Amino acid sequence: MSMFEGFRFRRVSSVIHRLDPRVKFFFVCVLFVTAILFSKLPPLILLFFVPLPFVLAAGVQREWIRSMRGALFFAVIIFLFNFVFTYFSTQYPQLPSASLLERSLAMTLRFLVLVESFSVFFLTTSPDHLGLALEQSHVPYEFCFAFTTAVRFVPVLADEAQTIMDAQKARGLELERGNFLKRVRNYIPILIPLIVGAIRRSLELAEAMESRAWGASEKRTNLYVLKLKNADYLLAFGSVLMLIFAVYVWRYVPVPTLITLLRL
Amino acid sequence: MAVIKTRDLTYTYPGATKASIKDVSITIEKGEFVVLTGPSGCGKTTLCRCFNGLIPLFYGGKLEGEVVVAGCKVVEHSIYELARHVGLVFQNPENQLFALSVEKDVAFGLENLAVSRDEMRKRVDWALQITGIEDLSERSPHELSGGQQQRVAIACVLAMQPDVMILDEPTSFLDPVGAQKIFEVINELNKELGITVILVEHRLDLASKYANHVIVMDEGKVVLDGEPRGVFNSEKARLIGVGVPKATRLYQILGENGIRLGRVPVTSEEAASLLREVLKRD
Ligand SMILES: Nc1ncnc2c1ncn2[C@@H]1O[C@H](COP(=O)(O)OP(=O)(O)OP(=O)(O)O)[C@@H](O)[C@H]1O
Ligand SMILES: [Mg+2]
Repeated sequence: MSMFEGFRFRRVSSVIHRLDPRVKFFFVCVLFVTAILFSKLPPLILLFFVPLPFVLAAGVQREWIRSMRGALFFAVIIFLFNFVFTYFSTQYPQLPSASLLERSLAMTLRFLVLVESFSVFFLTTSPDHLGLALEQSHVPYEFCFAFTTAVRFVPVLADEAQTIMDAQKARGLELERGNFLKRVRNYIPILIPLIVGAIRRSLELAEAMESRAWGASEKRTNLYVLKLKNADYLLAFGSVLMLIFAVYVWRYVPVPTLITLLRL
Repeated sequence: MAVIKTRDLTYTYPGATKASIKDVSITIEKGEFVVLTGPSGCGKTTLCRCFNGLIPLFYGGKLEGEVVVAGCKVVEHSIYELARHVGLVFQNPENQLFALSVEKDVAFGLENLAVSRDEMRKRVDWALQITGIEDLSERSPHELSGGQQQRVAIACVLAMQPDVMILDEPTSFLDPVGAQKIFEVINELNKELGITVILVEHRLDLASKYANHVIVMDEGKVVLDGEPRGVFNSEKARLIGVGVPKATRLYQILGENGIRLGRVPVTSEEAASLLREVLKRD
């Protein structure tokens, strides 16, 4: 099931993976805010390169390229939409100019930066780390538990879906037949056993949780604690600096467009 | 001293017309290794659920009679209070592991009980070591074989250090060799740590040599209850369709043909030595 491949986390370890997820999330937020602040091309191009060292240090280039390729389709749509829409919505339709092109490119790049920073975060944060971070950020334990359990059962359900599909095909179910509506309907004999199975599974899970003292005390303890290490402080410090710098530039420095820069 | 005592226990699932267990009165002593067996659908799992409060708290339904576990009347306590005394390992290992790593799963019960981190670390390592899965501690449950999952499920319950461990067909997904290994782990828990074990099992050939108390159920009722040799050798056990150990069956067949062995064997080793005696005598 290639569709679910992306959810299957692999246990890799690198400096980046070991960073505290809370700090990493803060860094991603700073990237986010910065990308929203600027609408000119040059700062966005710079911003695009900021997460790249992280990708390389974490050794997740391949996955990262795959996720960027996934975003490309939307990027093209955003570009065309911006380009065409701005062109027709100006009061005095001009010829498609270089500045219009630049503005559309900037919007597209902004989207790519957002996707990029998010994907770096999720590619380098294991779900249990993330669950732990949620727990220690005072998110109610029920939510954290639901999150990690969902991640735990994604591959199990994917396998189950595959088994059901094979079984139904063996009985003569044709999935790739008919028009769009018919094809959607073809999936019903797969969905129903899958849902019934999931419900049964969840009952068994609940039973097992109860038997292991779920809800015994108000204040649960945890096997692990997240502790900020030197690298975490460094990243947090860097992120704050970057945020201050970005706000300063945005407020006081007139940012040139790429065209004016090139003309110089 | 009895750890589990039931009196006239009858239970009907909500919406069911017929009771799933009827008039069950049994006593299980501390430190016993009990094998609970009987044909499919006879109510073994249902009885196990009565021991840790899942019945009636989780399932609802109608419960009559009395169950006392480790001095607590089950109906008067919540499931998590009983979880300190009774650990239940379920039939399907996959659905009782819900964390993303083995270690975290084993810690789950202790986290719920708010055990301190140091103590938790100690107990988790201890449980992993006894069940022989230390090297799996970082793996995710999805990457484990059925036998390994089964061991993790046992470790999860063991870490909570219960007085009684109930294992509901813990080997149903395993080959005979894997099953044998699990039984040995369970036997160690029983003999060395003094944990009372209740093992629900169909494969009596492998399991019965560890048992010192066998309970046979049929259609919701306890039909035989006693020490293994007597139970396995009874006519009733065979008629119900209990998988009487082959050694015991051999004893019976030889008996029918006029060859009497010294006592009722349960394992093939025992049968072999008894046969040797008989052959020498002739
Ligand atoms: N959740 C439930 N709701 C209603 N009836 C149930 C439920 N679970 C079991 N039963 C019924 O109770 C009876 C006893 O079932 P139980 O699962 O205890 O048998 P078992 O001895 O464990 O069988 P097996 O060896 O197949 O596991 C069966 O007739 C079954 O249909
Ligand atoms: Mg059962």
